[in-house]
Amino acid sequence: MEAETCSPIKNISRIKYKEREFEWWGPSPDEARKIQLSKPKELRDKRTTLKEAVTNLIKDGQNLALGGFVNIRIPVAIVHEIIRQGAKDLTLSFQSQSFAADLLFGAMVLDPDRISIKRVEMAYVAYENVGLASLFRYLAENGMIEIDDYTNYGMAARFKAGAMGIPFLPVRDHGGSDMELVNRGKMIKCPFSGKNTYLVPACHPDVGLIHAQVADEYGNCRLFGPLCTDPEIALASTYTIVTAEKIIPSADMRRYPNLTEIPYVAVDAVVNQSYGGHPGLVYGSYWFEEKHRTMFRNIAEEFRVTGKKDKLKEYYDKYIFSCETFDDYIGKLPQQDIRKAADLDGGQPIIL
Amino acid sequence: MAEYNAYEMIAYTGSRLLEDKKVVFVGTGLPLISAMLAQHTHAPNIVLLFEAGAFASVLELGLPMSVGDTRTCTKACYLKGLCSSFELTQRGYADYGFIGGAQIDMYGNVNATVCGDDYNKPEVRFPGSGGAGAMAANCEKIIITMVLEKRRFCRQVDFVTSIGYGDGSPDYREKSGVMGSGPYRVITNQAIFGFDNKTKSMMLLEVAPGLKPDDMQDKVDFELIIPQKVKVMEKPGVEDLKLLREVIDPTGVFLERQVEE
Repeated sequence: MEAETCSPIKNISRIKYKEREFEWWGPSPDEARKIQLSKPKELRDKRTTLKEAVTNLIKDGQNLALGGFVNIRIPVAIVHEIIRQGAKDLTLSFQSQSFAADLLFGAMVLDPDRISIKRVEMAYVAYENVGLASLFRYLAENGMIEIDDYTNYGMAARFKAGAMGIPFLPVRDHGGSDMELVNRGKMIKCPFSGKNTYLVPACHPDVGLIHAQVADEYGNCRLFGPLCTDPEIALASTYTIVTAEKIIPSADMRRYPNLTEIPYVAVDAVVNQSYGGHPGLVYGSYWFEEKHRTMFRNIAEEFRVTGKKDKLKEYYDKYIFSCETFDDYIGKLPQQDIRKAADLDGGQPIIL
Repeated sequence: MAEYNAYEMIAYTGSRLLEDKKVVFVGTGLPLISAMLAQHTHAPNIVLLFEAGAFASVLELGLPMSVGDTRTCTKACYLKGLCSSFELTQRGYADYGFIGGAQIDMYGNVNATVCGDDYNKPEVRFPGSGGAGAMAANCEKIIITMVLEKRRFCRQVDFVTSIGYGDGSPDYREKSGVMGSGPYRVITNQAIFGFDNKTKSMMLLEVAPGLKPDDMQDKVDFELIIPQKVKVMEKPGVEDLKLLREVIDPTGVFLERQVEE
């Protein structure tokens, strides 16, 4: 490979950045394969509690992939439990995230001895048209997290490469933008066409965090609405925790094998958790719960502007630390808001 | 004469740039509203592509608030995930893409990543590329919506998130390994810009009614090509405004917002 191949991007923008040597931010493709081969692959009942799943699978120093997309099918219940139990020196990987990622960033702001995130490989953190993500901004602008920027397709392709068991994928984006300079992808000359072609490295998270509509006891999952990149994340990750709105018997799952988007063998823990993506939306179950999302965003923004942590701390105390389980959190929410979010889904058809 | 606000002007302008029978890769808000207005008026056969996975949907549940919204999925012909949406685009199935950002330069390079020159400790950390960088690379024609302000139309962007024509050299995009033909139009509420075929630099095409072409140079921080003939931007008609206000965005989520100063 010609290491010096590059587009003419240099000197177009004002940006300055620290050069970084390439390293895998999680298991390398070889390590990921080795781990997969070491795991038992029989069909066994993987149903458990979130508490146990997180205790058994989440460890300091891991790369955690957040499933879903922005506020679509985001793994909020799993994130709550991780914040309750604590995990340090984490790397986060995702394409686009919002509430769930900012919850983790906020936990670090409040108590870095409980949750700390050292780096993030990503495409986007914000609330789409609503605005920026305050806690992410706070950490990034204070130089407290290392960021590696890709496009949404770049991150999707990186998980896909991981899922395919290959070390990289050639993509037709990033080149000619500053992401080419700052991220860990590389421009090469295509050995066939001779043209510049951008490569993104595979991403193998240690643990994928997925919220699905439907799973069976073994971990087979059906996803409805946008798949986001959850099938790719589950297959790329060395371990995967799935929360599901509904658990169905495997016999029912096997009636329509084509509907299985994540095969059981890529899943290590299955937890039945209704409303597990609140306040994001879950197709077929509920739409955004905008009031709660806005409340959190306002509290976070107030902290960013004033530096005062009390309201942020209150939020975490009330909704996470004083809850034993995610059901306790759901129980604390105004039930009319929960019902409204369910109504706004409009009863989208899913197959059980 | 119907009164209209800046957002309605941008939405209307976006819609009339779109040709019928094309696939539009849409973002939330004004891009989607533009595409929907085009579907309701001159381009009924436009097909929508959303980055979280929905393709060729019929929007029946109301205006989506997110590109992964359940509302993007109704009656879709094809519903997968991000890989499929961007791979359709890479493969050549997306004719138009709408992107936005915080800064743009004369070659249509757009910044949505950081403000300030230190990537590792930026003055402001913006959301990041999201889908924009991939759309700018691989949708065939890119329409950029921006607020026309000197600090946004700058000589040099702080960071290139979405590739335009780079440094203006004719082979910049090819050497970058991207597929789309690049920025097609820049829409603001006061003017529409295109790009000169030869120099690839920004060129005034139309100004809003009541504004003078020569005044536009002062609104950007680089040398703007102002040709002899500059058209006056078409105003949304009564029927367009009715569609925008009563059918497409009846609650005014996106169209009644004020332009940020």
